[in-house]
Amino acid sequence: MMLPYLIVVPLLGAFAMPIIGLLGEKAREAWAVVVTAVTLGVAVEVFNTVWRGGILLYTLGGKGPLGNGVSFPVRIVWEVDLVSALFALMVTFVAFVAVLYSTEYMRHDTGLEKYYTLVILLEVGMLGIAITGDLFNFYVFLEIMSIASYALVAFRNDTWEGIEAGIKYMFVGSLASSFVLLGIVLLYGEYGTLTMAYIAKMVAENPTFTAKVALGFLIGGLLFKSGAVPVHMWLADAHPAAPSSISAMLSGLVIKIGGTYALARLAFSVFSLGINVRTMGWVIVLFACATLIAGNAMAVVQTDMKRLFAFSSVGQIGYILLGTGIGLAAYGSDVGNLALAGAIYHTVNHAIIKALLFLVAGAVIHQIGTRNLNELSGIAKRMPVTSFAFLVGAAAIIGLPPMNGFASKWLIYESSALFNPLVAVIAVIGTAFSFAAYIRVLFTFFGRPSERVLTAREPGKAMLVPMLLLVVAIIIMGLFPWYIGDRIMVPAAKTLENTGAYILALTGGA
Amino acid sequence: MIPFQFITAFLMMAMGIYALLYRRNLIKLILALNIIDSGIHLLLISFGYRVELGRIPTAPIYTGYETVKGAMVAPLPQALTLTSIVIGVCVLALAMALTMNAYRHYGSLDVKELRRLRG
Repeated sequence: MMLPYLIVVPLLGAFAMPIIGLLGEKAREAWAVVVTAVTLGVAVEVFNTVWRGGILLYTLGGKGPLGNGVSFPVRIVWEVDLVSALFALMVTFVAFVAVLYSTEYMRHDTGLEKYYTLVILLEVGMLGIAITGDLFNFYVFLEIMSIASYALVAFRNDTWEGIEAGIKYMFVGSLASSFVLLGIVLLYGEYGTLTMAYIAKMVAENPTFTAKVALGFLIGGLLFKSGAVPVHMWLADAHPAAPSSISAMLSGLVIKIGGTYALARLAFSVFSLGINVRTMGWVIVLFACATLIAGNAMAVVQTDMKRLFAFSSVGQIGYILLGTGIGLAAYGSDVGNLALAGAIYHTVNHAIIKALLFLVAGAVIHQIGTRNLNELSGIAKRMPVTSFAFLVGAAAIIGLPPMNGFASKWLIYESSALFNPLVAVIAVIGTAFSFAAYIRVLFTFFGRPSERVLTAREPGKAMLVPMLLLVVAIIIMGLFPWYIGDRIMVPAAKTLENTGAYILALTGGA
Repeated sequence: MIPFQFITAFLMMAMGIYALLYRRNLIKLILALNIIDSGIHLLLISFGYRVELGRIPTAPIYTGYETVKGAMVAPLPQALTLTSIVIGVCVLALAMALTMNAYRHYGSLDVKELRRLRG
């Protein structure tokens, strides 16, 4: 059983970092890369086990989750189904790439042992959210992730931009975390337990008004964290202000693991048996439509490259929420299953694509020193590899067929068209805006070189290799979309919908 | 009849959210966040209180328990509250550090002045 090492290895890495940091810069970078690489290896192993063997249950400090002589769970459990394992794999992959990238990208900054400690702690928080099966444990990991990301957004505290974005992110994020905690407290007060699967059972038996209020607080808090539209403003400030390797992790992972994944997990695995899933699905679909349109439309008018990518992230979160919402509203039907598979697929795809785009933006800022699109024409002449990576990323995020974004968006379009044509129209309008935004950046990259760009050079290997790794991942996933869809994403959606199996894995068939 | 602890807890949360919305000083906003947190802790702790007829509610500590023989309150919410207090202090420290830096860059603690990021 490799599952505990998913937390043990990065935690050891983070806590040993201040000591290893005493050995000097090279040792610190090597340690960070090794720790994230080993975590990636563990995640591959865990994914492989879960993919072949079904839901994996791990009890902390005991042989089984049930107490001595009682039939309810008394310990913290980690419950890993295919969705969790897939997202853990995605987290470790992107974190590894980002750490590899920051060995060169962050070289000019000071306080790097704190930087690497925080990055690895961010990874710990996200992995914990993915694998946990306990509500309070989920809250603790959510806070580890959130606090690490507040500190990383404000990491360059000699710039006003980082501080302002950090403060905004921190106040909004803490309020959202308080909502999540309040929801968990209300659930505990009502049902007297904190294990997700066991609460699911009790909600199914006795859905009370308090449980619905708690669900409201939880959904509200998690929509904050995922950057859905009425509460997306912090995201557009925080992502551009962070160092680019961190933007890649924030945009690719944090808003998905702490936002949409947690939302889907709570909605499907905890509440789907007890409450009206149609209503909850429609609420999420409404937020998703607003997010789609507003995020992508705001991306078109930006002149700042990273801000454009950040708003595009808001737009893509809209697609993921749309898939999740339709999955809930059409619960149990083929359409719902397809939409949920699309949402899971799009989460993974967008994590890789947006990480690539932010790394490209980081390379441009690192080499040229500006991210204003009006000053950056003609980069392709001086930085061909970076431009090629951007071209692949832009094609993938719009959803052109040879790239991975096509299949996931297709699943979401198809299911939303079958579900409700109006929703499909909104989704297509969102993509049109996104197309316009990226075409603009593309023209900037391939125009006539401006004066600032003339002296630019390609970044070093430590920055190019991570980008090319992500490009390769995008193309490989783009070449076998339906194979991946049928073998991984549809079974993952089925396990997420199958709340009974989730509960049964905990209670052991009793 | 809602117990008065719950009412107090929800009042504290409402006060915190009110202050978060209508105050402009960054330090007052940090205090507001802490008040919200304290409200949630109060709610959580009071979920664990139990009253049994004729027995005094005691803290769940077994040292010297034989002399009291009271009804022990639930220990789980206390563990959760302890964890949550630590997280609250962590957020407080980070928020204070960021506020100091904000004062250095902006020369003011007014949140309305922190408006340079736009678009």
